[in-house]
Amino acid sequence: MASEDEINLLVIVVDVNPIWWGKQVQREPEFTLSKCVDAVMVMGNSHMAMTRTNKLAVIASHCTDSYFLFPGKSWSGGDNGGEDASSSGDGKYELLSVANNLIAEEIRNVMSKTEVRGNSTETLLAGSLAKALCYIHRISKELEAGQEIKSRILVIKAAEDCALQYMNFMNVIFAAQKQNILIDACVLDSDSGLLQQACDITGGLYLKIPQKLALAQYLLWVFLPDSEQRSQLILPPPAHVDYRAACFCHRNLIEIGYVCSVCLSIFCNFSPICTTCETAFKIQLPQMVKPKKKKLKQAT
Amino acid sequence: MKLRVQLQCKNLHEYLRELSPEILDRLYNHPATCLAVYRELPSLAKNYVMRMLFLDQPLPQAAVALWVKKDSQSDHDECVSVLTGLRLWHSQQLQGGLQGYILNPVFKENLRIALLGGGKAWADEGATLGPDRHARDIESLDRYAMERWEVILHFMVGSPSAAVSQDLAQLLVQAGLMKSEAGEAPYITSAGFQFLLLDTASQLWYFTLQYLKTAQSRGMDLVEILSFLFQLSFSTLGRDYSVEGMSESLLTFLQHLREFGLVFQRKRKSRRYYPTRLAITLAAGVTSTSSSSSSSSSSSFASAPSTGDTGFIVVETNYRIYAYTNSELQIALVALFSEMLYRFPNVVVAQVTRESVQQAIANGITAQQIIHFLRTRAHPVMLKQTPVLPPTITDQIRLWELERDRLQFTEGVLYNQFLSQADFEVLRDRAQGLGCLVWQDVAHRVIVVTPQGHSEVKRFWKQQKTHT
Repeated sequence: MASEDEINLLVIVVDVNPIWWGKQVQREPEFTLSKCVDAVMVMGNSHMAMTRTNKLAVIASHCTDSYFLFPGKSWSGGDNGGEDASSSGDGKYELLSVANNLIAEEIRNVMSKTEVRGNSTETLLAGSLAKALCYIHRISKELEAGQEIKSRILVIKAAEDCALQYMNFMNVIFAAQKQNILIDACVLDSDSGLLQQACDITGGLYLKIPQKLALAQYLLWVFLPDSEQRSQLILPPPAHVDYRAACFCHRNLIEIGYVCSVCLSIFCNFSPICTTCETAFKIQLPQMVKPKKKKLKQAT
Repeated sequence: MKLRVQLQCKNLHEYLRELSPEILDRLYNHPATCLAVYRELPSLAKNYVMRMLFLDQPLPQAAVALWVKKDSQSDHDECVSVLTGLRLWHSQQLQGGLQGYILNPVFKENLRIALLGGGKAWADEGATLGPDRHARDIESLDRYAMERWEVILHFMVGSPSAAVSQDLAQLLVQAGLMKSEAGEAPYITSAGFQFLLLDTASQLWYFTLQYLKTAQSRGMDLVEILSFLFQLSFSTLGRDYSVEGMSESLLTFLQHLREFGLVFQRKRKSRRYYPTRLAITLAAGVTSTSSSSSSSSSSSFASAPSTGDTGFIVVETNYRIYAYTNSELQIALVALFSEMLYRFPNVVVAQVTRESVQQAIANGITAQQIIHFLRTRAHPVMLKQTPVLPPTITDQIRLWELERDRLQFTEGVLYNQFLSQADFEVLRDRAQGLGCLVWQDVAHRVIVVTPQGHSEVKRFWKQQKTHT
């Protein structure tokens, strides 16, 4: 059993891409962003209810930015949150109701204030994950002597993958792996190769949920147990991982490509000078030319 | 020689298990108790509860058994027994004749309320009374709580300045922490010494359990006060709550809590109260007591914010203890198992010796408790190193304890004065066959058997005599 001085930090990254959610409402009017946020709150509450030392953070990942929903700027820790707390008085544990009110308020702010500029339909997931890692790092720095922290990140992903973020994403994944931080992914729509890799490398769980309406139950069932309990439970088997890398020139996912022998950059087509490290490759032109000439000479 | 009595500090589970099913069912009528009980479950069982929280149909037992991997089957069985023992899981016949589990509906309902709301408010909040003119900030609440609690501890060690109410003194006597001879002031028992060495959270929990034991004899409703206690432990520090709507017995309970320092109430008749950190960490202190040996720094976390004086002891490998404290009480505690060398305004220096430790052990304190005391009150500088205490010291204290334990006592019945070697051997073999032979001496024809086996051996011997 986890001892009392072990802090379990769960950072939930929610994809709030307005374009995707807008389309989603047209497809399935009964599963909206607010339903999704409700499910996230249920998950967060259950996590915080488990033990006193469990901590939670929620980050909203928008098109061009990411925002902390909880703990917000006004949140001053569990001790004196009482000043601005307006508990709903419906029998909910006070700490949870304060947190939920904060999340609801923040997400309303985020969704109403930010505008979508240009035609970027992707979510800035890599940025949000980096923010989550920074937050985890900060929390672990603030620990008192003798305390330990175990952190994990849960990504609730809606929109499509964005190959443009490939480099940043991989950097985040390897940073997480080094810090022993699990990345879990709960994918609502289409499979994401990047997240599959992230979960595989960091040892987290990847699940594409068949029924979006049952999101809360999936979250509780699969993602609530921490790594220790996961070793005891039977959980969905690891998904087949799409390990294709994105090339550095066009950000396409490729299976076979050219790799710079000096800096290991990947390219989908050959270029004589590596664009990353500027190494010039002196490669002979296809060798088929010379023997042909010889053959021709012999023939004549 | 009297056997040493170890102070047993039960955790919430063991306590709840002893309650009757009717009381348990009534307890689950309050969201706060449900949440508290839920938090005390083994981690695997917590997940089981969560998985079933939003299900309305019972699940077949076979399906539940498939939730865990093969090699952690024993954990699963333990969880099932805990969940059914606490009446959280009910067995139910499924349609196909299979046995199924369903979450206790009352518990399910109230845990949902605790997590997601949608029920009645737990208690009236102070907001209805308007802002408090004498509002307390958190520091003063902490100080108040510590002061109150230390008065009790001071009373136990017999400081003349400390005075507690008759009720409290009686409770201490009933808990076995103090003894009182007729007409004399109560004095501390060996259990009391052990109690003093616990960390604050465990002390509080032990004390509360003792209080609950006597609660029913005071004519209080156990369910009511337990619910209130749990509700208190989930309240927010630094906020005021109103006493509106509390029953008469609950109000007396509140007065007792006020005396322990669990709540702050400005005046006896005041309409509002503030829970202190002691009340809030009450539930947190429950688990740390059960796993005292392996991860003892845990309780320091639970109690560190509450006591201003945690983290003041430095132990060196040369058996010297430096305690940076002014508190008479803490110094007295250190002196329980060490020899005082010097005393300065802000620090005392003591030495752990064989005599001092054995003296403490003779008082009923165990080596484990001494080590636990030192570890939980270790100075922040000490906490940075692993292990927190120098291993030489911890090992030596344990060895000193073992020195006293060289003899082992076993009860038995002696058989001697056998007339022949054959008689002796027949009886000895019989006793050996029954597995009740404790000791034998062939030369003197003496055997000792356990009291349980005595009647059997005796009957055999009578049979043997009539045969021959």
